[in-house]
Amino acid sequence: MTDTPAPLTKDALRALAQAQGLTLSDADLEGLLPLVQATRAMIDELNAAPLAEVEPTSQFRML
Amino acid sequence: MADLVWTSIAELARLVASKAVSPVEVVRAHLDRIARLDGKIRAYITVMGESALQAAQAAEASVMAREDLGPLHGVPVGLKDLYCTKGVKTTGGSRILRDYVPDTDATVVTKLAGSGAIMLGKLNMHEFAYGPEGLNVHYGTSWNPWDPGTHRICGGSSSGSGAAVAAGMCPGALGSDTGGSIRIPSSLCGLTGIKPTYGRVSRAGALPLAWSLDHVGPMCRSAADCALMLGAMAGYDPRDPSSSVLPVPDYTAALTGEVKGLRIGLLRRFFLESAGAPQRQAVEQAVKALEGLGASVREVALEEMTYGAGASAAIICAESYAYHEGWLKTRGSEYGPDVRERLLVGAFVTGADYLKGQRVRRLIRDEVDRVLGGLDVLIAPTLPIAAVPLGAREADIDGHAHPVRPSLVRYTRPFNVSGQPAASVPCGFTPDGLPIGMQVIGRSFDEATVLRVADAYQRVTDWHTRRPPLGS
Repeated sequence: MTDTPAPLTKDALRALAQAQGLTLSDADLEGLLPLVQATRAMIDELNAAPLAEVEPTSQFRML
Repeated sequence: MADLVWTSIAELARLVASKAVSPVEVVRAHLDRIARLDGKIRAYITVMGESALQAAQAAEASVMAREDLGPLHGVPVGLKDLYCTKGVKTTGGSRILRDYVPDTDATVVTKLAGSGAIMLGKLNMHEFAYGPEGLNVHYGTSWNPWDPGTHRICGGSSSGSGAAVAAGMCPGALGSDTGGSIRIPSSLCGLTGIKPTYGRVSRAGALPLAWSLDHVGPMCRSAADCALMLGAMAGYDPRDPSSSVLPVPDYTAALTGEVKGLRIGLLRRFFLESAGAPQRQAVEQAVKALEGLGASVREVALEEMTYGAGASAAIICAESYAYHEGWLKTRGSEYGPDVRERLLVGAFVTGADYLKGQRVRRLIRDEVDRVLGGLDVLIAPTLPIAAVPLGAREADIDGHAHPVRPSLVRYTRPFNVSGQPAASVPCGFTPDGLPIGMQVIGRSFDEATVLRVADAYQRVTDWHTRRPPLGS
């Protein structure tokens, strides 16, 4: 186990996609890589949120 | 009767009920305008001309027979092409569903029809609602009516709804809003549109983008028309598990024109401070106008907004991928390239990411609820930019280039995550003559106050009455 994940590469993306039954071409992976990296960076920013006492919620408010 | 296409929903309903105008004339006027303009504007994917005229004839017969009439009796409306319509193609703006003909109506379509509305057609949109620009490679991208000389985006995903209402090709339309898709095109097309509270309007029969972020709402040329349309659409629906059982107030009755004593919170940090100068000035002027009507204004900040993009991304990527996974594996080549690519990102979002987004969502929602505990509404710009030319990837904000796509959703998506009602209201124009919108956000299930503020503002301003330069 490491604290810092390895940088996301095209090959890593291909392996993750294959594990889910997705067959992606080199061109697909090249286009996807920056989008996935950007999305992961946005999601990683959530690690700074004070979530210790916060449970997941949906918006279903049966009022 | 060219003016029929610029007559408000409220006035059309009154004219029809008083026999001053036949619903057949109203529908014909709109169909004629669609035939004349839509080759260029591309607001409609399917025009329901024949069935609309049949419905108009039936509506006329009901008037003549002195039957009880619904509040939208004889008024034509457009439907974003993700609302299922029995016997009528519902494409979701996609090639994959280009021949899909549902066997039932979406609940909101049933409700509008029950109020007497006549369905004019199915409106263009970003494919499967996944994009804030309103691009569509399959049916052509809607042209923003405010610049006939340059093909500018309408904003999305409800681009056809924005274009059609702004161009006088229907007086009101259904949009849907997952990250701003009602408010963005309303702002860029000079319309009033409201994303109601999550749970207020049924999503049953609407093709989903992200179930827990999707909101159904109207786009019209005034807050008064939105009130009328929303009243016809809202209410509990057992077909939608997130539907609220709270009673629906009379939104039209809430439009008193009075805002004296209302407490407004102006969102400067994160919102106003990063908008372009024309947007900043227009919203500040609008807030002064509301202050002049007797509302009190103070600046407030929402600290958790910085997490809005990450929470929205985690949720929308996971939910949209879950819906599209099968098609991505078997019919991937039938998607437009931008939408396919965005959907595939969801394959690399984990379950833990999704739940982190849902945990942060509670922080954001609770903070907005808490701040609104001492206020009646919040005000912010809807967008930091105006409509950009088709294909532009960057927009100028005060001399700095900013990417278009994140700029379009920056101020709107936090309120999809938080769920409170939010409207976009026209509040000015750029020096180039492009519309600017102001966002009014209210307490959960208090759409009435949002519409009241918007309507009071529209009683003392004329931004919402201006028409794009398309000719009569």
